[in-house]
Amino acid sequence: MGFVRANRTGLAVALAVVVAAYVAYAVDGTLTSSLLGFAWSFAVPLVLAALVGVLGERSGVINIGIEGQMLGSAFVAFFAAALSGSMLLGALAGMGTGLLLGAFLAWTTVKWRMDQIIAGVVLNIVATGLTSFFYVQGFTLPQVMPSIEVPLLSSIPLFGPVFFTGGPFSLFAIVAVLVIWFGLFHTRWGLRTRAVGEHPHAADTAGVDVVRLRLLNVTLAGLLAGAAGAYLSMEASSTFERGFTAGRGFLALAIMIFGAWHPGKAMLAALFFGLMSGAAAQLQASRVVDIPEQFVNLLPYVLTLVVLAVAAGRVRPPAAAGEPFVKGDA
Amino acid sequence: MKLARTTAALSGVVLAATLAACGGSTGNPNAGGGGGATGGAAPAGDCSSAEVFCVGMVTDMGSVDDKSFNQSAWEGIEAAAKQSGAQTKYIQTTDTKDYASNLKQFTDKKYDVIVTVGYVMAEATTTAATANPQTKFIGVDQAQAKVTDNVAGLVFPEDQAGYSAGYLAGLMTKTNKVAQVLGMQIPPVEKYAKGFEAGAKAANSTSNVSIVYHPAGDNAFSDPVWGANAAKQQLAQGADVVFGAGGKTGNGALGEVAKAKGAGTSTYCIGVDTDQWLTVPEAHPCLVTSATKLISKGTSELIMQAKDGKMKGGDFTGDVGLAPFHDFDAKLPPDVKTKVGAVVKGLSDGSIKTGVTLG
Repeated sequence: MGFVRANRTGLAVALAVVVAAYVAYAVDGTLTSSLLGFAWSFAVPLVLAALVGVLGERSGVINIGIEGQMLGSAFVAFFAAALSGSMLLGALAGMGTGLLLGAFLAWTTVKWRMDQIIAGVVLNIVATGLTSFFYVQGFTLPQVMPSIEVPLLSSIPLFGPVFFTGGPFSLFAIVAVLVIWFGLFHTRWGLRTRAVGEHPHAADTAGVDVVRLRLLNVTLAGLLAGAAGAYLSMEASSTFERGFTAGRGFLALAIMIFGAWHPGKAMLAALFFGLMSGAAAQLQASRVVDIPEQFVNLLPYVLTLVVLAVAAGRVRPPAAAGEPFVKGDA
Repeated sequence: MKLARTTAALSGVVLAATLAACGGSTGNPNAGGGGGATGGAAPAGDCSSAEVFCVGMVTDMGSVDDKSFNQSAWEGIEAAAKQSGAQTKYIQTTDTKDYASNLKQFTDKKYDVIVTVGYVMAEATTTAATANPQTKFIGVDQAQAKVTDNVAGLVFPEDQAGYSAGYLAGLMTKTNKVAQVLGMQIPPVEKYAKGFEAGAKAANSTSNVSIVYHPAGDNAFSDPVWGANAAKQQLAQGADVVFGAGGKTGNGALGEVAKAKGAGTSTYCIGVDTDQWLTVPEAHPCLVTSATKLISKGTSELIMQAKDGKMKGGDFTGDVGLAPFHDFDAKLPPDVKTKVGAVVKGLSDGSIKTGVTLG
């Protein structure tokens, strides 16, 4: 019961969304499932990237280099798979790249206390520069990413085919949300992580190794950024292009804020963005209303503004996010 | 304190976004420092002398071997050089901010003809042309709203290319649903889209043609993931022919259709601008043809006109067509090929009109 009381609003919203989805499904099944499919494919990299932001800021490190982490990972994943002929190797290489770039951010900002914003910008610029420079045309993936059907869950009407049938990375995103949600709020690691992000000196006094925990969290979050990148180049598409991530890493930061630094809410927020984007495409395609495309395409942005304006002031970032920790310097 | 921190963080995000956008153009396999790399035939003579005919090309973003606009224009220059004995050279643009300085490298050396590639370079081209009235400029894909005497804009009737492709799509569709996944809503893309729709309707008046443009401005042509997503949405709703017209975004759509069940047997895709069989290998399972602009031919014609002193300022209309069917040549029903061939011919001799107007 405690869980229900603590998450009253979230659960009510989730329930309303599910009911609305099924009502829509009953009215027009094809349209609803294709729209939800668009929303989820759009949301997967945003969910993973928002989790990177959540993990970082919850432990006190602002990560605006997510875009760069994703871009670098997408690049390495694609070319590792294309050159080696192994999808598995590509996926691992992509995630490994995310991890490495995460470690770069962790060591520069936590260990050497470089300005977190600047370190993130450096990451973005370096990733953009290197991937553009080394990009060559004409490579293809050895095969199409296999699709997995989760037993039982995939047979749920509407939601099953969308969420529980898909490539490994979209399924991984769901698992990651659940694991991090549980981890942050129900384990010792989570409590310590939040303490380090809210009040590192208190955590330090209580015997938590602040620097070590921050290094660990920011580095491991890189794995998720790597998965997001590999998802883009291996699962959502089968290609890589210069500037491929198209600002998704920055959108993820907005989603992190909209989702109040909470994994579950961030996932809902990402789905909301995906749904709006899908709706914009759908309105153009089916031409139910005859208004110029430019206005239809404004829809996601206008709604984003409205939603962020409503959310602003209601959410609070972790208190120590952005502040390097210096032992004894309270 | 908290407010200040949030502001700092937010401005950091904005700054990062801006910098990332700028940083996006720093890389190029052949780039040297500064404006970009140069290449082509080794310059021997002095371009300022009247006897030596020099042609320079400034690429749009991307390399000269991009299998797209840049490469096509360069091939046109090479062809013209073979005929006229011109001396040729290119500069690869690695940053949109370098358009003017790259152009200046050629104007300083008194090149006779300078070819600039792409809609986005129109302004830089006109500026350089006004400053260098003795030099002839050829702007690929640059419609001339105002005539500058020494600038010829090589433009294409995209609506005709789109019409032929749409006609083919209208004949192929079994579900009567044909989808278009498009880049930015700018005149060339819009003409493709409207032409495609008109063509599909002409072949099959009951067909349902959707038009979906990419929502964002700055990455509308470089977002294959969105293109794939939009194509997937349309396929799920029963579309069985998808026209991907929007640079890399459209390529993403082609790649997605290639992955779909029935790709090449019941589901097809059509590419754009150049023969995308050569540029998007992952689309081979579904790629029937591409609606193309014959950039090489137009460029080389204009250079020869310039050489003979006959080039006029204003728009020069190049040819469009359909790319070869490649593997689908054997799979397409003969009567479909005949009908489409007749439409292509009818469009070029003027007996068929697309009826497309932008407004």
